[in-house]
Amino acid sequence: MGNTSDKIKIITKYEGMPNSRSLDTYLSKGGYEGLKKSFSMQPAQIIEEVKASGLRGRGGAGFPTGLKWSFVPQNIQGPKYLICNNDEGEPGTFKDRYIAELSPHMIVEGMIIAAKAIGACKGYIYTRYEFFEEIKWLEAAIQEAYKAGFLGKNILGSGFDFDLDHYTGAGAYICGEETGLISSLEGKKGQPKLKPPFPAVSGYLGRPTVVNNTETFAAVPWIMINGAAAHKAIGTEKSAGTKLFSISGAIKRPGVYELPLGYSFERFLNDDCGGMIEGRSLKACIPGGASAPILTPEELKGLTMDYEAIAAKGSMLGSGAVMIIDDRMSMVELMKVIADFYHHESCGQCTPCREGTGWLANIMGGIYHKEGQKGDVDKLWTVAKAMEGRTICALSDAAAMPTKAITKKFGDELRAFIERGAGA
Amino acid sequence: MNSSNNSSIFSEKLKTVIEKELTRYETKRSAILPICHAIQDECGWVQEKHIDALEKEYSLNRIQVKEVLTFYKAYKQSEPKKFEIEFCDNIVCCMMGAKDAMAKIEELIEKQGVNSEFGLKGVPCLGVCDQAPAMLVNKDRHHKITNENVEKVLSRYSSTI
Ligand SMILES: Cc1cc2nc3c(=O)[nH]c(=O)nc-3n(C[C@H](O)[C@H](O)[C@H](O)COP(=O)(O)O)c2cc1C
Repeated sequence: MGNTSDKIKIITKYEGMPNSRSLDTYLSKGGYEGLKKSFSMQPAQIIEEVKASGLRGRGGAGFPTGLKWSFVPQNIQGPKYLICNNDEGEPGTFKDRYIAELSPHMIVEGMIIAAKAIGACKGYIYTRYEFFEEIKWLEAAIQEAYKAGFLGKNILGSGFDFDLDHYTGAGAYICGEETGLISSLEGKKGQPKLKPPFPAVSGYLGRPTVVNNTETFAAVPWIMINGAAAHKAIGTEKSAGTKLFSISGAIKRPGVYELPLGYSFERFLNDDCGGMIEGRSLKACIPGGASAPILTPEELKGLTMDYEAIAAKGSMLGSGAVMIIDDRMSMVELMKVIADFYHHESCGQCTPCREGTGWLANIMGGIYHKEGQKGDVDKLWTVAKAMEGRTICALSDAAAMPTKAITKKFGDELRAFIERGAGA
Repeated sequence: MNSSNNSSIFSEKLKTVIEKELTRYETKRSAILPICHAIQDECGWVQEKHIDALEKEYSLNRIQVKEVLTFYKAYKQSEPKKFEIEFCDNIVCCMMGAKDAMAKIEELIEKQGVNSEFGLKGVPCLGVCDQAPAMLVNKDRHHKITNENVEKVLSRYSSTI
């Protein structure tokens, strides 16, 4: 969707091709060549190459991928595992689904290369329950890869064995958090675990485990074929490569766009996406999924789409889910949706999150139903403050961050609504 | 439902799935989620009698099965209606008119007296925000649902709508 000539297609390379999901199509444009290349390399070399490429995790935190792989102990007995985080629950995000729709083999290939690098014997793709069709496509790709000899015993005569399976979630946002995902894969409730130990040392069944996002794996074959330097040359100094952005909201052409990191936000919105829907104007933008702090039109001026530039504005690139909010959307409703979502999805393990999200949802429910009290906006802020940095996983922070940003930047709108409500 | 000659409450098909899942992963416990999905797909929801049978026939710990069934929202806690509508009521769908469409569905269900056939609830983001508002009817995903087109979409499921 929406690519113009100056954009490099790494992950969306097969866009527009008929039967893009099939192995034949994938092989017709260099599919599994990255795998072959990696099998001529030592595991440490693969890791070095990915490190040098500047690839950062595309699941939200942007952690350097090669570095994560290097944390896995190399010379230990027993199994190591590899997991593809295809849970995609962050509101606004729909890019991993798109990869599964377009090129499931790219995910499989990236995983085999990663498995070779860390010495994993078994991998899982963990997909959220609601992606019914996508799950079928992923399972079909795994079967095709087995038949072609890319999975299983002695892959391509290399002596390397790797099995891959698919696992379906059951409707829990928390299972996108990597340790929650691991709990879920173990057949337990999806509650996150304290880190350290990190999964790379003690993950699935207590064994070394690497969890990466779907898009992260999909970027790996290209790096193997084209080399670290070619990848590093795309994007900015610290944000290398391309990124899939799932953009939605009050714009003419919502969808998934692959852009080099560091791309101009204004160009993205106005040229690629055709600008706002007729008659609507830009009120705000959430640049990286529901947990990313909201940005005002003022803050969006001159913004570039990379980890550093968005962080400098006090928000985050996150999963690359850009939500364009127009003047018709009330901040009361937006804040209520966000509070309800995190309250619904808190796993209940840590008090600040379980209670904090409940408070946020309660206060917002009151405001929304015109029973808001003077001081509620300050209360939202105070509760959010108390939720930060005190829990096992980042869901609590993910609820606190957007709350603080909305109360700070749109506090007047909330207060005016409360006053009107009380007077009515 | 029971076509086998022993006393299992599971169909032959379901038994095959359960047995396959039990050896598919590193531990038996990992099979609980997929087994519950399979039972729900065939029987509508996982009931007490299924939990009993999983324990008796396959030695699956009932506490562990209940842990899964109560934690994960995908598992139904009571007998589902014939058509369960799950409407995304998250940020983008709300912005694009989810609330109006949901109100319209409620009105339709009420007006046509099909409460026994259709269930409606709001669910978190379905991951198709570029096609907002989105909803699931059982396992079918529908895109760009508005209060104008929703009647037509639902009429595919029931002639009374
Ligand atoms: C509450 C919560 C939800 C998350 N959901 C997802 C998700 O749906 N998909 C994902 O890839 N990462 C998600 N993450 C991030 C993962 O914990 C983890 O950082 C990521 O899978 C690592 O992969 P990466 O390094 O390739 O980005 C979530 C984190 C938190 C705290």
